[in-house]
Amino acid sequence: MSTATAPPVAARPAAAHARRGRRRSGLARRRAVIAWAFMLPLIGVNALVVLGPSLFAVYYSFTDWNGIGGAQWVGLANYAELFGDADFRNALWHNVLWTIFFLVVPMVMGLFGAYALTRIRRFRLVFRVAYFLPYIVASVVTAAIWENLLSPDVGVGRILQVNFLGSQTLALPTVAFVNNWAWWGFLVVVFLAAMQGVSPNLYEAAALDGAGPFRQFWSITLPSIQPTFMFLGLMTIIWSFLSFDYVYILTQGGPAGATDVLSTLLYREAFASLRAGYASAVGIVMALISGLVVAAYLVIRKRKDWAV
Amino acid sequence: MIISRRNFLILSGAAALTPVLASCGSGSGGGLQYWGAFQDQQQQDYFKKERVDAFRGSAQVRMTVKPNDTIDQLTQTALAAGTGPDLVLTPGPAQVAAYAGAGYLLPLEQYSQKYGWDSALASWALEASRVDGKLVCLPAGYETMMLIYNPATLEQHGWKVPTNRTEFEAICTEAKAKGLMPVAAGNADWRAASEWWVTFALNHYAGPDAVYSALQGQTPWTDPVFADAINLLSGYYQRGWWGGAVDSYFTNTFPNLYAALASGDAVFMITGSWATSEILPYFGAPAGNDATWDWAPLFPLRDGVPAEVWDLGIGQTLSINAKSANPDAAAEYLNFLETDPKRQAQGIAEASLQPAPVHLSEADFPASVDERLVRLYTKLSNAATIGYTTWTFWPQQTDTDLYTNFDKVITGQLSTQDYLAGLDGVFRNELAARKVPPAPTPTGLAR
Repeated sequence: MSTATAPPVAARPAAAHARRGRRRSGLARRRAVIAWAFMLPLIGVNALVVLGPSLFAVYYSFTDWNGIGGAQWVGLANYAELFGDADFRNALWHNVLWTIFFLVVPMVMGLFGAYALTRIRRFRLVFRVAYFLPYIVASVVTAAIWENLLSPDVGVGRILQVNFLGSQTLALPTVAFVNNWAWWGFLVVVFLAAMQGVSPNLYEAAALDGAGPFRQFWSITLPSIQPTFMFLGLMTIIWSFLSFDYVYILTQGGPAGATDVLSTLLYREAFASLRAGYASAVGIVMALISGLVVAAYLVIRKRKDWAV
Repeated sequence: MIISRRNFLILSGAAALTPVLASCGSGSGGGLQYWGAFQDQQQQDYFKKERVDAFRGSAQVRMTVKPNDTIDQLTQTALAAGTGPDLVLTPGPAQVAAYAGAGYLLPLEQYSQKYGWDSALASWALEASRVDGKLVCLPAGYETMMLIYNPATLEQHGWKVPTNRTEFEAICTEAKAKGLMPVAAGNADWRAASEWWVTFALNHYAGPDAVYSALQGQTPWTDPVFADAINLLSGYYQRGWWGGAVDSYFTNTFPNLYAALASGDAVFMITGSWATSEILPYFGAPAGNDATWDWAPLFPLRDGVPAEVWDLGIGQTLSINAKSANPDAAAEYLNFLETDPKRQAQGIAEASLQPAPVHLSEADFPASVDERLVRLYTKLSNAATIGYTTWTFWPQQTDTDLYTNFDKVITGQLSTQDYLAGLDGVFRNELAARKVPPAPTPTGLAR
């Protein structure tokens, strides 16, 4: 009986496999359910505060909406107006200048600052803290300090007889300078972390071959931290198109639009002119620019096989 | 103490629900919710004592204080969510129009008849409080443009308060030659401040009749009379009369300008009546000096414009939330806040509160009040001709363009013709979309 009811010998391992497989798939399903259970609150919050508002912003960019009550569908009218709007072109151009400034000045300062720190043994931590400190100070505090320092009534502006924030030509570089003062220390710390991951053997070998510090920096350090460098470049472009706080605190986009950037234009259109629909279109253009930059980076990253 | 998982969950749920239930309770307990924002603690304390706790109506008022710079956004968000205070405070008619259009505000006609607001409040104020013919708000505070000066500075240089453009320009020319700032002006703290001076130029050069006609859409903003007004004002900037120089204008802060007026480095300030409280820390005992200030009505810039034009602005309005559970009590409280002249005068005297547009006489003020304020508000109550502040009577987008693009005129980026043509185009669109706030005729505060 037992022989008659027993499964064939060849079938036993298969059945055991099937049972183990069922157990494994049950386990996997349970794990997946638990994982999703943990993920759900995050997805819910994300849908509520990121995805939902983003989709609404896309919708409102096609409407005439004052930010209160109902919106009236106007199709592409906001976008058509946008590209004929001198204020938009002016703000976009300032964002381009701002991006170029931040891709060059703080990146170069950050690289050389970090490289200099790798060459010293004493007080390295002190310098790191000193460089990083302005980054953690609230932007409103930093802006207030520099506003007083540069003031044409009591500060450096009075001594040099230059009105930095009142001048049409100097206002934008001045705001960028103040923002950079708080920003470049962050780049130093990130670049330093990347540089500390470079094998010391490479530097020893290069030194034996007679390479000086600059040659070592150019031929070893830079290529070794390229992914970090590129990533920070990407983030710089994105952040540059989102910059708002220093501009708003120091000049509110003035004098006479000399420091207007897309975000201050968006703010003014939404909250002063009560044109939330048009402001949404500005926001969508800003997001598209960032999206294009990220897409370009992903393509390059795939081609170059970067890890970051 | 060990807490089981079940008890922990129950306690957590209860803790999370407590504030929710508490807030529900506070909203539905028959009381009135009022959201206020104040210039300083003294003003807030005064309002709480005299305007909240002192109300003995059919419902108790609970005041929540919000930050001055965010109360408008907070109110907007709350109204959109179908909640918010029973009384809705707004920064002016343009916001009221948007709220009324969205159905957030209760029409006030029945309450106006019940409490006699037609006779208690100035007719211009009620006219400016209508949207599509319906009364939807009451002005909670009104303001006017004025000339502020330091009498000692004028006396020192042998000048008198100007009563016309010729006298004003003569003083400015002389003051500039002496290295003084003729008009203390700047927009570093508030970019929109440029519109104060555009308001001055339009109403006192073009005149209130021309402005009223343009606001009705009968005269274009490109009319030569407006172009001349803007050219005149822009010329004052080019001569360094406004803020010392064009680039200084963009970095002059209000504290520095008040201090310059007190020290005699600046001669005049053309500003709003709100400055009568802001200026106090820079003069006399609080500043440790013996400087004093006084004010005068703004003068005409052209023959044919009335000698005294009072540019009126509405700084705040109050409406009843359409979702209020107790609109009758809200109207009763609104009446309490708005209509008693003595209460308004006391607010001016003791807390520098802007008054509601009721008729004020000298007898309404307490004995302790600053004589300059009595003079200001009694004259204002008897004004024969009113002008139009841009932030009250211009639609929102036109107003924003008006001050942002005026800065481009004074820096030479934009010609006056292009400036006015752009303004006219935006205004026409907003007029067609019925976004222009109603403006009373320039006939004063007649009831």
